[in-house]
Amino acid sequence: MLKLEQLTKVYPTGDKALTDVTLEIPSGQVVALIGPSGAGKSTLIRCINRLVSPSSGKAILDDVELTALGSAGLRRERRRMGMIFQEYALVERLTVMENVLSGRLGYVGFWRSYFRKFPQKDVDEAFRLLDRVGLLAMADKRADELSGGQRQRVGIARALIQDPALLLVDEPTASLDPKTSRQIMRLICELCKERDLAAIINIHDVALAQMFVERVIGLRFGVVQFDGPPEGLTPDVLTTIYGEEDWKETIQKVDEEDLQDVVS
Amino acid sequence: MQDIQAAFLAAFNLIVSLDADLFEIVGLSLTVTLSAVAISCLLGFPLGALLAISRFPGRGMIVVFISSLMGLPPVVVGLTVYLFLSSAGPLGSWQMLYTPTAMIIAQTLLVTPIVAALTRQIIEDLNGEYSELLRSMSARRRDILSTLLWDARYSLITASLAGMGRALAEVGAVMIVGGNINHVTRVMTTAIALETSKGELALALGLGIILVLLSISINAALMSLRTNMERFAYA
Ligand SMILES: Nc1ncnc2c1ncn2[C@@H]1O[C@H](COP(=O)(O)OP(=O)(O)O)[C@@H](O)[C@H]1O
Ligand SMILES: [Mg+2]
Repeated sequence: MLKLEQLTKVYPTGDKALTDVTLEIPSGQVVALIGPSGAGKSTLIRCINRLVSPSSGKAILDDVELTALGSAGLRRERRRMGMIFQEYALVERLTVMENVLSGRLGYVGFWRSYFRKFPQKDVDEAFRLLDRVGLLAMADKRADELSGGQRQRVGIARALIQDPALLLVDEPTASLDPKTSRQIMRLICELCKERDLAAIINIHDVALAQMFVERVIGLRFGVVQFDGPPEGLTPDVLTTIYGEEDWKETIQKVDEEDLQDVVS
Repeated sequence: MQDIQAAFLAAFNLIVSLDADLFEIVGLSLTVTLSAVAISCLLGFPLGALLAISRFPGRGMIVVFISSLMGLPPVVVGLTVYLFLSSAGPLGSWQMLYTPTAMIIAQTLLVTPIVAALTRQIIEDLNGEYSELLRSMSARRRDILSTLLWDARYSLITASLAGMGRALAEVGAVMIVGGNINHVTRVMTTAIALETSKGELALALGLGIILVLLSISINAALMSLRTNMERFAYA
């Protein structure tokens, strides 16, 4: 269970990226965080795993107050939060397998990981995960030989091998084509179900969010504007989140792309 | 014209006959320069990397200072080391002036800023791509440093080669602290200067040819590393 209490972030530049964000996410629930660019989505998930320090408010994961942790405690808790990035999420010159195993870095320490001295059970788990995300055959390929979708699958496997309690996902589909985007979203949501994992998925694409999650949170200018099931995203609600133009464009775009998928 | 042709011929003969004097000088040059580059890497890699990932007051000034040291005139470095090592200087009792060790010290001072400044740039760029990923995986500071240094290893080799090019070609610093003593501290550049002034063109030319070949090989190595690195994305 993740709890945020009046989480607020003001950047040194004066940008008020988050204002009093309060919400609860039970384990096993996948939440899509939507909102226009600059709404504070990335800031929100970075405040949870403290890649960004919140200005005030609390983030609590299973009774541990993340916002109060010192550096040792933070390292320990970060292992329980798997993060999946939009891009640059892999160490390019390592193999797929090594990238997945690097998710154990927080557990086994650097030297053991670079000299490939991972415990056998980590290696076994890495193979299982690669199999699950459909990349078993690519284990020895170098990361820079992969397509965007494949790279994202490796990122997912790497986050999962941390054995996290919470998955933080920042725009997992922003650099992917629509079809691959849907496959990746489906995979993330299935894996969360299988593992009873809570997840926050930042996504600017409303239709994609509606397709896969049970709960949507809409952010605008750092303030929560909507929190509910995807069916609740009426045109009025979407307008308060995105303003007049934006959301209609996203939806239309996806519809056209869907059509293309059907035709091809 | 006749003289120059004869000198080229003699120089060529010295090289192909593996002339002992000539290769002693080349050997000492390489020993001094390679030692200086090795020490500079040991100092410059961690220093540059630390600067790249740290934020503290005065960091910007240190970065500017190190970059400006890259352009230090070798004679000034030689003079400084001379002042420290001369019998009247603070380290005079070590009696190191006019030894290869003194030359290594001087060249280390010349090369370390180059290696450190290039390392800082390389590691800072790489860190821009890795830092969130590594921190989100609970990597410690030293894990982050060693991951970055390791992943940037090909670029770091180019940094050390750049330093080597400068050390091998400079004449001012080694001349002042080494003294160009035959069989002891005579290296390629100082020998070329001396032999030319004596009119002994054969040895000077022979050394000059080898020096040029060495710099060409260093640059070729640099270039082929760069080309290869494009395949190794982000190397
Ligand atoms: N490192 C930063 N320094 C200053 N301002 C930032 C920084 N990161 C984000 N911001 C600002 O915070 C706001 C929210 O940004 P972000 O969380 O990236 O939004 P989103 O991910 O929804 O696009 C924006 O106004 C952005 O300009
Ligand atoms: Mg963002």
